[in-house]
Amino acid sequence: MIQAGALITDIGTSGPFVRVTFAAPAIASGLAAGRFVLADLGGYLRAPLFPARIEAEEFDVLISPRHAAAALQPGADVDLIGPLGRGFEIPAATERLLLVASADHLPVLLPLAYQNHQKPGFWEKPGFSTGFAIALLLSAPTAADLYPIRLLPPAVEVTIVTADGSAGQRSSILKRSDDLLPDLVRWADCACIAGDPATYPALAEIVREVRAGSGRRFAQALVVPPVACGVGACQGCAVSVARGTRLACTDGPVFDLLELR
Amino acid sequence: MTIDLAPNHKAGLVLANPVMPAAGCFGLGTEYARLVEVEALGALVVGPLTAHPRRGAESPRLVPTPAGVLLHTGLANPGLSAVLRRYARVWARSPVPVIVHVAGTAPDEVASCCRRLAGVEAIAGLELGLPDTADPDEATAIVQAAHASAGQPLIVRLPLVWADALCQAAVEAGADALTVAAPPRGTAWYAPGNHFITGRLYGPFVLPLALRALRRVAALVSVPLVGCGGIHTVEDAQAFLRAGAAAVQIDGAVWRDPACLAHVARTLSSTVEPH
Repeated sequence: MIQAGALITDIGTSGPFVRVTFAAPAIASGLAAGRFVLADLGGYLRAPLFPARIEAEEFDVLISPRHAAAALQPGADVDLIGPLGRGFEIPAATERLLLVASADHLPVLLPLAYQNHQKPGFWEKPGFSTGFAIALLLSAPTAADLYPIRLLPPAVEVTIVTADGSAGQRSSILKRSDDLLPDLVRWADCACIAGDPATYPALAEIVREVRAGSGRRFAQALVVPPVACGVGACQGCAVSVARGTRLACTDGPVFDLLELR
Repeated sequence: MTIDLAPNHKAGLVLANPVMPAAGCFGLGTEYARLVEVEALGALVVGPLTAHPRRGAESPRLVPTPAGVLLHTGLANPGLSAVLRRYARVWARSPVPVIVHVAGTAPDEVASCCRRLAGVEAIAGLELGLPDTADPDEATAIVQAAHASAGQPLIVRLPLVWADALCQAAVEAGADALTVAAPPRGTAWYAPGNHFITGRLYGPFVLPLALRALRRVAALVSVPLVGCGGIHTVEDAQAFLRAGAAAVQIDGAVWRDPACLAHVARTLSSTVEPH
């Protein structure tokens, strides 16, 4: 973890998101899905930014047009602290990875979806199947809120549910009659979740029903409360878990779904 | 350039620089190890600690406000014994003095904490945080309990609102120095949870409040004063020194810019004579 300046090298759009590229060699190499940086964007607190694409010397974030970082311009310098936190940890023997995301949280999971492409051969080491499968269950209010699915690697099998039926099924992730989520949870041997924490208790109930006795960290979920220091000093970003409280900045922000309270 | 925050104590509390982090903002001493040039500072202020472990407040603890941030941790800490097991050796290697902040919960607990800490050589001083609700009698009881048990110099951190009302009682009860002041408390409406949260307020707006309190305290007591509250720049720190502070503590600014600690410390040491 360091405090260092990053150069904005590119600004673009990806569907409803603004894409900002940060050149930050000393920080990018330590990032991973679910890890984050704290960016000084002028507010009293730094803003947590999660990488959607990670390269050796740079990373992209995908943010809402209303986010303070969306006003940055190429050539601007931004002070970053990072990399911070514990990200998603995919067990070595994983063969079927399930990603569950709401549209606005999908960018956090994108490094997992692109992992095959970023690290050629990564999945070919012993214990991995070269035919590694990734399924993505993506929910959104409407089609206009969706990340462009055509940009995802073809190997990622995408299921979309929208509240208004404008893309995919007219449904929600938690609608039990569809059995969408239980079927995918049954299929997967690791699940990574990024969405509204208010939905996590219901998701956890499904995981308990379908995968009773599943190992620790079978289902990992992102929780991002407001963060002040990012290093565990202020004790501000507490997250309630089964055995007390943990800090999102150092113990998380990715937690075992079944331990969250 | 050295400052003695406890000139009347047998051990003294000599700092090579007037700048330190404030309790509650810097953790227990290791969290910022990779981000802050500790050797540039006058001291580390770590904690707060209580005798027994405290789980602390439920989430959310942090509410951003238009003027800064409201933080309510509920004194979350692993308890004195666990902290000493893990950090006493770390503090012994610190290049600058370590001051441990003890939460002034009740006289008995404070006395117990101070007795345990008295034998820890790595600790150069204690800072005792008075409860925001303490009246002069309660403040006297808590400070006397700490003073009677502490081996190290004792700094008492005053609540901002009652700083001038409590400062003389704290000094008469044994405080070697005073920190003026603890962050003020406020209440914010937390819409997602449909409830209020009360906690300490951090932000640049605190500075004029704390500066006023320090000037009033400086007129009432003659022990060294540590200015604290809303310091974000060199100029902010200089204002406290001009108002009568011998040293300063930087609070919430550390979260946004950890490098500001060493920057303010180095700039002050090259430009400002101590009070």
